[in-house]
Parts: sequence; structure tokens; C-alpha cells
Amino acid sequence: MAMLEVNGISKSFGGLQATTDLSFKVEPGEIVSVIGPNGAGKTTLFNLITGVYRPDQGDIRFEGQSIVGLKPNQIVDRGIARTFQNLRLFTNLSVLDNVLIPQHHRLRSTWWSAVLRTPGYRRREQQMHDLALEKLSFFGPRLMSFRLHQPVYVLSYANRRRTEMARAMATGAKMLLLDEPSAGMNPKETVEITDIIRRMRDEGGYTILLVEHKMNLVGEISDRVVVLDYGQKIAEGAYQDVVDDPKVIEAYLGKRAQDEADSEAAAGGQA
Amino acid sequence: MSEKRMRNAVLTLLGLGLVAVVLYLVQASGNAKLAQVMALFAIWGIAAVSLNLINGTTGILSLGHHGFMLVGGYATALLMLPEAARARISESARSQMTPFTLGLSVESWMRAIGLPGLATPGTLWVRFLIALLIGGLLAMLFGLLVGVPSLRLKGDYLAIVTFGFGEIIRLLASTHLLGPFTNGALGYNGVPGNFGTSLWWTFGILALTVFVMTKLKFSSYGRALQAIREDEIAAEAMGVNLAYHKVFAFALSAFFAGVAGGLWVSYLAAARLDFFLFFLTFFFLVAISVGGTGSYTGVLLGTAVVVFVQQYGDPLEQPYSLHTWLALVGVIIAAVALGAAWLRRSRRLRPVWHPLLFPLLGIGVVAVLTALVGSHWAPLTGTFQAFGMRRILLAVLLVAIMVVRPEGIMGRAEFSWAWVFRERRDQPSDEERAQDAWLSNPELNREASDDEGEG
Repeated sequence: MAMLEVNGISKSFGGLQATTDLSFKVEPGEIVSVIGPNGAGKTTLFNLITGVYRPDQGDIRFEGQSIVGLKPNQIVDRGIARTFQNLRLFTNLSVLDNVLIPQHHRLRSTWWSAVLRTPGYRRREQQMHDLALEKLSFFGPRLMSFRLHQPVYVLSYANRRRTEMARAMATGAKMLLLDEPSAGMNPKETVEITDIIRRMRDEGGYTILLVEHKMNLVGEISDRVVVLDYGQKIAEGAYQDVVDDPKVIEAYLGKRAQDEADSEAAAGGQA
Repeated sequence: MSEKRMRNAVLTLLGLGLVAVVLYLVQASGNAKLAQVMALFAIWGIAAVSLNLINGTTGILSLGHHGFMLVGGYATALLMLPEAARARISESARSQMTPFTLGLSVESWMRAIGLPGLATPGTLWVRFLIALLIGGLLAMLFGLLVGVPSLRLKGDYLAIVTFGFGEIIRLLASTHLLGPFTNGALGYNGVPGNFGTSLWWTFGILALTVFVMTKLKFSSYGRALQAIREDEIAAEAMGVNLAYHKVFAFALSAFFAGVAGGLWVSYLAAARLDFFLFFLTFFFLVAISVGGTGSYTGVLLGTAVVVFVQQYGDPLEQPYSLHTWLALVGVIIAAVALGAAWLRRSRRLRPVWHPLLFPLLGIGVVAVLTALVGSHWAPLTGTFQAFGMRRILLAVLLVAIMVVRPEGIMGRAEFSWAWVFRERRDQPSDEERAQDAWLSNPELNREASDDEGEG
């Protein structure tokens, strides 16, 4: 059974058709990338899956059950968590708090036992603390020790990205949607984040769906790639197959560039 | 770590003991004014701290706190009303009270359920506690009522709804709809007991409120509420149930507001509609803004400032001769100029002496000199009395805080012993600093990052 199944979903905002009859599947343990030019509907797709928007048509199934119409927090309960393209951390709170908050929805203690700090609540708080450290240690010592207690606003941009990924992992989700995890990172940091994403799958056991613009990152880690243009899926498959697809080249570079590429190829063939 | 916790616990107990000694001394000294001011501080403190749960921690601007206090206050007053007062009301032709509402009394309930021991004058405090609790729960019910529209509204729109609620509840209380419960515009006189003026009761409940609020803030629930304040969309995307937590914040805050209302009624020994005007909420908002939005210890500090100005501000509203006023205004203008220069210096703005500051300072100095020299000058004879000066002072204070320190005196931080002892957990030790420098220096850790790629 596929982990995530998107079946013919459509969404329009007024006259703008943001997503049209889109279908794809993500199997457990896969890393699937969604690529496409600006405005292709990648982030809309994320918002549809995470319940920010509700699709006009079609169905989204997670582990066989429909998640259409659920609120974002209910979808997190089911096991899908996301990161945001323009970082939405809890800026004035500490790194540790940022990674503790996503665990709150799994807390089964009542508020008064939290106020009274009952032994049961203390134990759960300790568990939450341990899990937070475990997720933060994915990124090496960078976010540990004294940084745990620093407010997020003093962190560097790359560290904020890492904190956001740790935060998504701490929700206890099985599937992570990463919206441009390497945006604003330098090449060295991009290499590191590529490695982190791979380790999230291999060691953390997460299934990952990501939107990304950096093709070297996409090519290196994706099991499969879904290409969107104008809200429609124009190609799907292994990275090498997809980037050679004429439709994909057309979407990225335009028609004339495609013709030129063809004629160049033809000329090369003759020579 | 546990050694430090031990130390903190001991220090906290010592601090509480010190407060208790101070309260005892105040009560023993027989200084009635001081005791009354301190009781008022505690009652307003309860209300301000509970409002801070919504405004500071959850980040929802609510302006209807006086409405919750009214509900709790009237409930307590009605449930505690002595039989003699009930008889007087039932004989009054202008009263809208019905036999049913006149029968709402903790005392008669205690007799009805076969506990006459709790209906004696000696056990008045038990009945007061029950009445406070019922008042709080009733206010909580109204909190739920307001909390539900808060799910659909945000920011200014929600503030208007809560403000409207506070006003509607006060106006409804004077109509036939709620009149039977509130005795209309007449209200209740002679609420028995001196619980609202007792320092032990008021400070005891204040301590309980602060305990619950701070423990909540530093628990998982408090973190979820703060997440809503920081970024609602992100909070929801991280699994925080917005509806539940917002309504929860409103309900818990309204409960303590209702309790504060009960004490407020007991403090004034009467319940009347004009005890629950919007100015109450305004004072709490000033206390929160001055003390620090989201900081409960800061809010207590702010409440102390507000209560002090309100209670000891009488000299400000006495008649003074005009040249005294002129001198005062001159001093204020000069002080503003000097303060602005100091602010510019501390913020490293150049030039420190902005060209506009010279005329301002000049006007101030000239005003002071005129007042000193010309005390017999004809236009300066006569007196002037500035009514409402206390509230003006509070408003000016609010403006000054917003300019100099918009986050309030304490900001979001709470008072803690770790802060007293300068223990900062967000600063690296020397060893960690070296490690950090090593990590962030690409020259030093090139090999290491390659290794990391393997592992």
C-alpha cells in the first residue's frame, strides 16, 4: 500500500487553476521530489496535502485513509509534518521549546496535571525532552548544549533551517514534506542538508516528499521526481529520465530553446 | 542541577516567608490606608495576571475582562447576601428580583443539604470560598461563550468583539433580562465579610493565581499557547489544536477574572454596575504593557505601578497656584528634552543634541525661571486643579514605555533565581566556545566535514 496517494486533485483560486487533476503516489521509505518552474503549483500541492487548503475535487489518502477535510493539526496527528519555504519558526522561543511544541499534540496529560507537575507529567516531559535532543542531534553539535536555550532569532539562517527540520521530525510524523530545505544555503551547507535528508530516510525511517529548486540536490537523493507545470503533472520517473524529457525541458527553458537543443543534437549526430 | 533546584526552592520559600512577614507587619501596624492599597494591588494583580494569559501568553488582544469580573462579582455578591438584605430587596417595589433569584444563597443551600454547621456566622469563610468558586465557574462559562467566536476572528476584530462583550454584559445586567440576578441598577449593598480587604485572602489567592499561571506557562500547554502567539499557522502545522487551546485560555483566564471580581465586590462591600467599567480593563492593560507582555512577574510590577499612581496620586489632583503649575510644566518639558538626549546617546544617534531639543530645553528653563521670578506677576495669581491627572499620568507612562522600551520593563522574561545569580544557559562555556569557533571555521574543519559526510 502506498503511504501517500494523491488521486486526481484539483484546486482553483477564483479563475486561477492552481492544480489540475493531479495524481501520484509515494511509497514508504521513498524520497520523492516535486520540481517545476515558479508558479507551477508546488507549494499549493503541499498546502493541499497538509490541510491548509481543501481540494475542489479528488482525494488524498494517507496510509489508505482519506485526509481530505481534516484540519492541519489533525493531519499532523495522522503522521504528516511539513517545513515552510519561508521559515515559520517560533522566533522568540528557544530552540528547545521549538522542538518541544510539536510534541504537545501527543501529550495525554491534562492541563492541571501539567500545572501540578505530577510524576506522570514529569515523566512525559522528560520523554519529550529526550526526543527533542535526539532529533536535534541529527544535525551534529550545532544545535546542542548552550544553543538549546538560545532564542531562535539569534540563530544563523542555516541553523534556523535545521531547527525547522528538527521541529517537523519531532511531531512524530512518518512522512515529512520539506518545502525547499536548501533555500538560502551556500553550496557546502547544501551538501550537508542533502546528506541530512538521506539520513532522515535511512536512519530516521521517514518517507520524504520535497520541493526543491537545486537540481544537483534533487538528482542526488530522489528516488523519483514529479514535474509540475501550470498545476499539471507533465512527467514522473527517475531523475535522469525526467530531465531528458522534452516536455520538462520545454517547461523550464521554453519552446525555442527546445528546438535549438534538438537542432544542435541533430547537428552533433551528423558530425 | 538538583543542587540548584534545592537552592531555588529554599530561596523561594524564604521569599514567600518574607512576604508573609511584611503582610503581618502591615496588618499589625494598623496603617489602614496601606493595608487597603495592598489588598487592592492583590485583587487587581489577580485580574491582570489572568488577563495576561490571553493577551501576553496566547497573544490574543482581549478587552472584555471587566465583563468576566462583573459576572463573578455579582454571582459572589448574590450568593453571599445576608437574609436581612434579601428581605429588604423583596419589599422594595423597584426591585426586579424574583423569589427564585432571591433564594440563591449558599447559606440556605447549606441548610437544605443538611449541613447547618456551614450556615453559621463562624463558617462564613467556607461560604465565601464556595461563592467565589461558583462565581469563577460562571465567569468561565462566559469565557467559553466569548472564546468560541475567537476561533473565527483575529487581531483587531476579535478585540472589538471582546470589548463589545464586556459592554453588553454590563448593559444587560441593568435590564429585565439579567435584572432578577443583579437587582438591576440598584445592585447589592452590604456584602458580608472582609475577605476582600484581608491581606491573607487576597494575597493567598494572588499567590495561587501566579502559581497556576507560571507553572502553566512553563509546561507543554504553555508552550503551545506561546506557539499560537508566535505563529498561528506554524502552530497548527505542528499539531497544536488552535480551537481547543484558544478556548482553554479564555476559559481559564475568565475563571480567575471571576474570582477577582468576587474579591473586588467583597473589597468594596457592594456590587454596582459602575464598579465594572471599561477603565478596569484599561488599568490591567496598562499594567501588562508597563510590566512586560507575557511576563507574569512583570505584570505584578506593572500592577504595583498602576495601583500606586491610583491610590497615592491624590496630591496630583489638589489645587495648586498657577506659578507652581508653570514651574512643573517647565520641569517636565526640560526633563523630556534631557531624556530625549539621553535616549539618543544610548541609541548612538548623532547628533546627540538634535536641533529641536534646544528650543524645547529653552522653553522649559524659561518657564521655570518665569515661575520662580514672577510669583507675584498678575497672570500667575490664582489656582488650578487638575482633575483626572492620575489617569493622564498613567497614559503618559504608557506612551513613555512604548517609546523607550516597547516590550515593557521585564519583556517576556520572568523573574528567576538563575537570573539573580547571573546563570545563563544560553551562553557557551569556554570549551564550547572553542568548539563552536572550530565548527564555524571552514579552514579548521574541512577534514571533519568530509568525515561527517561518511558517517
